[in-house]
Amino acid sequence: MTPILQLDNISKQFPGVKALDNVRFEMNTGEVHALLGENGAGKSTLIKIISGVYKPDSGVMRFDGQPVVFNNPREAQSKGIATIYQELSLYPELTVAENIFMGHAPKRSIGPLKVIDWKTINERAVELLASLHIYDMDVRRKVGSLNVGNRQRVEIAKALSINARVLIMDEPTAALTESDVEQLFQIVRLLKERNVGIIYISHRLQEVFELADRVTVLRDGQYVDTRPVSETSEENLISMMVGRTIDNLFPKLPAAPGKPVLEVRNLNHAPLTKNVSFKVHAGEIVGIAGLVGSGRSELAQVIFGMTPAQSGEILIEGQRADIRSPGQAVKMGIAYVPEDRGTQGLIKQMNIRENASMAVLRSLSRASFIKFGEERKLAKESIEQLSIRAYSPEQIVNKLSGGNQQKVVISKWLASKPRLLIMDEPTRGIDVGAKSEIHRLMSELAVKHGLAVLMISSELPEVLGMSDRVLVMREGQIVAEFDRAEATQEKVATAMMSSGQKAAVTA
Amino acid sequence: MAVSETSTPSALAGQNLLGRFFRKEVVLFIILVVGVLLLSTQTDKFLTVDNILNQGRLLTEVMLLALPMTYIIITGGIDLSVGSILGLTAITLGYTWQNLGLPLEVAIVVAIAIATLAGFVNGLFIVRLGVPPLIMTLATLALYRGLAEGISQARSVRGYPEWFFELGQRNLLGIPTQLWIAVISVIIAGIVLSRTTFGRSLYAIGNNELGARFSGIPVNRYKLLIYTFSGFMAGIAGWIFVSRVSTTRSDMGTGLELDVVAAVVLGGTSIFGGSGTIVGTVIGAVLIQLLKNGLALSGVKGDATIVVIGIVLIGSILINNFIQRRSGQTT
Repeated sequence: MTPILQLDNISKQFPGVKALDNVRFEMNTGEVHALLGENGAGKSTLIKIISGVYKPDSGVMRFDGQPVVFNNPREAQSKGIATIYQELSLYPELTVAENIFMGHAPKRSIGPLKVIDWKTINERAVELLASLHIYDMDVRRKVGSLNVGNRQRVEIAKALSINARVLIMDEPTAALTESDVEQLFQIVRLLKERNVGIIYISHRLQEVFELADRVTVLRDGQYVDTRPVSETSEENLISMMVGRTIDNLFPKLPAAPGKPVLEVRNLNHAPLTKNVSFKVHAGEIVGIAGLVGSGRSELAQVIFGMTPAQSGEILIEGQRADIRSPGQAVKMGIAYVPEDRGTQGLIKQMNIRENASMAVLRSLSRASFIKFGEERKLAKESIEQLSIRAYSPEQIVNKLSGGNQQKVVISKWLASKPRLLIMDEPTRGIDVGAKSEIHRLMSELAVKHGLAVLMISSELPEVLGMSDRVLVMREGQIVAEFDRAEATQEKVATAMMSSGQKAAVTA
Repeated sequence: MAVSETSTPSALAGQNLLGRFFRKEVVLFIILVVGVLLLSTQTDKFLTVDNILNQGRLLTEVMLLALPMTYIIITGGIDLSVGSILGLTAITLGYTWQNLGLPLEVAIVVAIAIATLAGFVNGLFIVRLGVPPLIMTLATLALYRGLAEGISQARSVRGYPEWFFELGQRNLLGIPTQLWIAVISVIIAGIVLSRTTFGRSLYAIGNNELGARFSGIPVNRYKLLIYTFSGFMAGIAGWIFVSRVSTTRSDMGTGLELDVVAAVVLGGTSIFGGSGTIVGTVIGAVLIQLLKNGLALSGVKGDATIVVIGIVLIGSILINNFIQRRSGQTT
């Protein structure tokens, strides 16, 4: 059988970086082919070449056995190559049906005029969605009013409306809730039965094992290997991706908790923080588990003063702290590494130096004049201490990989010398190598430097692997607490689900 | 990034060197020099010390307003009410002096205080109630002008004492008096923007306001401050304006906000916020003023002058975009 897509000796050079170096890739129809690699390994460049965004410098791409050259994404689409990017590219103010047929709407003639055939558009949109076993979506609804999972379904329907034969999915589960993930998997299997080839990019290895037939690994722009998923293991894939074996993804040091750093009593902020009370001690990592929307980040933002508490008390080292703004929280020794590093954690258009000093600018200044020498020193130290891969402190943060961006956020908050470090999804969307480094750092900060760490995570293995204690939130309340010894996947997951909801947690 | 603090060349990768050298300000400065040279070949009245100093006198009000406007546009906002606040200042000054009989010195202070309050009100609505700056200041553009007209009842105020014209019509050490104020303000505003925590925070707010809040930057306080500052500077500019033209009328400063925004944007400040410098704004304001004057002296008619200025605006922005893209500065 000829592969539907075959790439040989593909190279692509950007100023200063060799993004792809003699990479190959092949895929059959009806295959789910996972593409793995750390951030910066060249996955994005490869899929952009396949979808016609970039032209390769050298190498051959064959589609159905025929050599093809795509000058733009439209040419790739006309061959039936559709891409669903991480940031969905839908128009929020248009309806579901309009989005699906954007650019190729069915038309009818009124005399000399060609007008959009609204009846057909809506009917065909309903048919397309039905073919994906989606029956409950109103195609006249505006896309902006849909949740992320439903928007993604619209994207998939849009891809099918151009008769996609190859569908590229870039981290499709990154922003989805557990139940949406399950539905997405069903759709992927459905497409597979219809002989659509799917290129699947994800950082979550368990998804690869659940879904994919074969896996191709890239590392630093080079091709490493392609293997059937059945002939590989998680450790195996990780060592292929990072080029060394990661002995421990959760390098947790034994903790000796000291006195309480943070104590919260009956904290309230409508609607998602209800009567919350708990303590975090020096040297201790407390993990908060819970479903998306259970109020974990909201709680953190109440403590950090973004949305100040409506009632209740926050005590820092036994002293009552009236925190009304993030500025006050920083003064109290609280640092918050937020959930979304792109919009909350960093000013991406600014450089590493400016970001690293952002939270401590006042202490780096005399009479509010910035001491640039000290600022530069801080940036250099941060880069060294967290081994941030950057050519200079002047590098724009946006140009760094996800893992390195996250390290900049962490260094920015470590510079404030906090007593309490709140980390919200500290390793979301970053590769295993950086993940393990951040975990090691977190553990060292708690144990060696006596920081109190409050960690929020949607990944249960992370919560279980790193926490000394686990708090479980549901609907704005803390519903359970487990010691490290007694916390198991099952117990925590059961506590996370509200009564009657089925436990569908990715391990 | 257009933070004007220059970094050590060794810290930069080669690909950015060209971009660093051809900063927007440098490109604009080259355009300015070429423009001045071209115009000076058309008439010998243009490139004379007297004419240039006189242009500096005429430029001062726009320059003073352009400084806070640069701050505001860097944060992603805009202040369209500055022309109206200038008018309101002028009227308040004349009215409190002539009709209420206050000493002129006190009238000046009252007028500037009212202007500052007008800016503070803009800021308060923008920060506390979340009214978009464009809409808020568009509303107060009408509102403050209406107040000025209501107070003046279409009467102009004349007959100011001789000492009052010292500021707007005389020289100090051979330089127009108000130009001293402009130059000192420019220097202070430039240093504050490029070297202080406050200035840095403005860039952070303009690039990512939420991120700035999450970094503990007092975003609301700073935004309130810059709109208030804008009102204050409009007050100073209004005082200078009255002193320069010897009379007070309620339509003073009408349309001035557009000249100010044009100077700031021509100077390379992004209308989307996040980048811009005082140096750029100064060059932008000077370029527009000298073009107007040079063309007029070369015998170009008024209408054609405006057309040429429009073309230069578009042209220089295109040239800049082209160069920035070629040198890989766009993100």
